[in-house]
Amino acid sequence: MRYDFAGMNLIREPQVAEVDRKVEDTKRDAFIISADDPILITGAAGFIGSRLVTRLLEFGFRNVRCFARSSRTRTAVASLSGRHDNGGRVQVVKGNLLSKEDCADAAKDVAVIFHLAAGRGEKSFPDAFMNSVVTTRNLLEASLRHGCLRRFVNVSSFAVYANQHKPRQRLLDESCPVEEHPELRGDAYTFAKVKQDDIVTEYGRRFGIPHVIVRPGYVYGPGNVAITGRVGIGTFGIFLHLGGSNTIPFTYVDNCADAIALAGIKPGIEGEVFNVVDDDLPSSRQFLRLYKQNARRFKSVYVPHLVSYALCYLWERYSTWSERQLPPVFNRSRWHVDWKKTRYTNEKLKTQLGWVPQVSTAEGLRRYFEACRDQGSYA
Amino acid sequence: MLKVAIVGCGKIADAHASEIQRIKGCEIVAACDREPLMARQLCERFPVRRYFSDLTELLSEARPDVVHITTPPDSHFGIAKRCLESGSHVYLEKPFTLYEDEARRLIALADEKGLKITAGHDDQFGHAARRMRRLIQTGFLGGRPVHMESHYCYELGRSGYAGALLGDKRHWVRRLPGKLLQNIISHGIARIAEHLTGESPQVIAYGFTSPYLKSMGEGEIIDELRVIIAEKEGATAYFTFSSQMRPSLHQFRIFGPKNGLALDHDQETVITLRGTRFPSYAERFVPPVVFAKQYLGNLITNGRTFLARDFHMKSGMKYLIESFYRSITDGTPVPIPYREILLTARIMDLIFGQLDVHQRQARAQDRMGGYIAAGH
Repeated sequence: MRYDFAGMNLIREPQVAEVDRKVEDTKRDAFIISADDPILITGAAGFIGSRLVTRLLEFGFRNVRCFARSSRTRTAVASLSGRHDNGGRVQVVKGNLLSKEDCADAAKDVAVIFHLAAGRGEKSFPDAFMNSVVTTRNLLEASLRHGCLRRFVNVSSFAVYANQHKPRQRLLDESCPVEEHPELRGDAYTFAKVKQDDIVTEYGRRFGIPHVIVRPGYVYGPGNVAITGRVGIGTFGIFLHLGGSNTIPFTYVDNCADAIALAGIKPGIEGEVFNVVDDDLPSSRQFLRLYKQNARRFKSVYVPHLVSYALCYLWERYSTWSERQLPPVFNRSRWHVDWKKTRYTNEKLKTQLGWVPQVSTAEGLRRYFEACRDQGSYA
Repeated sequence: MLKVAIVGCGKIADAHASEIQRIKGCEIVAACDREPLMARQLCERFPVRRYFSDLTELLSEARPDVVHITTPPDSHFGIAKRCLESGSHVYLEKPFTLYEDEARRLIALADEKGLKITAGHDDQFGHAARRMRRLIQTGFLGGRPVHMESHYCYELGRSGYAGALLGDKRHWVRRLPGKLLQNIISHGIARIAEHLTGESPQVIAYGFTSPYLKSMGEGEIIDELRVIIAEKEGATAYFTFSSQMRPSLHQFRIFGPKNGLALDHDQETVITLRGTRFPSYAERFVPPVVFAKQYLGNLITNGRTFLARDFHMKSGMKYLIESFYRSITDGTPVPIPYREILLTARIMDLIFGQLDVHQRQARAQDRMGGYIAAGH
């Protein structure tokens, strides 16, 4: 597949040969853990987590432990265990991350923790906080208790960046400032994610827990067919296109899982932050046009940046004036993050982790649109 | 300045903090949660001076005039008792306590200490609910209520709470005698209790686990409940709780000997139901116009309230808190009479007692491989 931005079409090309994902033993020797060291994954049944489990097994790791809460999740995770014949063992640990005891049991003897579970979709700040921060603290405490952890990989989000006062103008990279007052964004997920990063960093500083923070952009692919709010918002039957010519920081789910896996096993990156975005990112307008051509047609109205900024400002002012009769879900802070023109880079990911996107954006979008057609919805 | 503390910093605590900060003459001096991180996050988002993870420390150091208790219900009695004993007035979230006996003991303790206590039945103080109450007080029903219908539904699929509950066999809701029902139905039961005149109504309850929950492997939680409540020579009432019926109603209808009233909590509307009929075909043409006019009136009222910045989602909670604080500072009556709190607790005791018996019978019958007629 080739992505023809000029023509706004997905052009079919001869299928690129599947990359051989088997990692030679010599390469694995360069990792911080051996093939039989236990690895713990939280959120293993989720959109990214399930791909991460597969990827780690493909890397040749044979002792993968998945933390699962509900019986449905446990079943989903258990189904992964039979996929590989490399002698790999997927163990499903039943528990709740809010229980310190469950965390201690799950983290016993573990060399690397990939922490993907989070309070996604929560509108309530306390719920999002509890399911992201308290759970993370419990895992960190558990790893301290056992004292054998070699890396804690905290999966964060682009949502934590303020996207203001950036040192390199429009370019958002790992050196950019994080939201100082996430409580003012009006988004429980952002608040929880900022606090989650804070507590990981704090435990790293105070107790020397080796950690890496991975911040994916918008992770897309079959299994997550929603259109990101960075493109626009569907409301009362109309889709407001807010992104315009902005680049959308997409990362295909398999590429994202690759980046997370590498962040957990590569040596010499303690305390580092990695943003994850793919190459050849489309603009919001290009994406929307392709979506309508390849997935589903619907009416959209373009809202220029100046207008969206003014609306966010007015909404924010009204929310304050009315003592939050309307919650501040639209505000200038959100506008900066979601709708301000921004460039993205994956340079650090490539140079320090040796990450290469295995699925091109054209192929990723083709798979995504196919899934959208099957599900028939944009939100 | 009234010094207020919040104990329990979960989801509903946010609503309390939001509404308290809109009330003049009070200040949130402290927040407390067994999990210090939870207490801290509340302080980071609201103007709260200090946070604690120990109730004793909070009571002795912050010395609050009022404590809002927003912890899981199985801790309500113990925490409220300690707050009253240390001299604080108590706003206790719903359900007030697990059992009527606990409610009675707390109210007695408050009286003994000269303190006030109230239950978090804030739905009864929304704009529409207050309009309905005023109409009843002016005699619109034409006498004592004859019959009431209360619907209080809950969409399991739309809440993260349901996901947490269904996925966790150790969730605190499962520890409650009435489980999911106990945590939710008191709003709908309290609406009925407000208008009952007797002290010992007869209660017949029928509950079951919906096919939806059963398909998810859940057999412990009852999410469908139908109740008949009847007073000797007094009013009768139907109560419905459902996780499956659509629309998911939060409505209350009350009928007197002359007229009736219909309250929709979600839409904030009150509709008067005339007891007399129009002659002949006029009954088929005039009432729709009358109803249309009433709905238009409700729309205008809601619009005006919104423009006046008084149409918050939890406006009932603000009104209840303000009324409760006034009862403390000015000595006015408590907004919810203690009799009503106790009657709500008594009806809930009777419901859960019957459901418990039914469940035990059903389990026994299942073990015997048979079918049970009563209750299931």
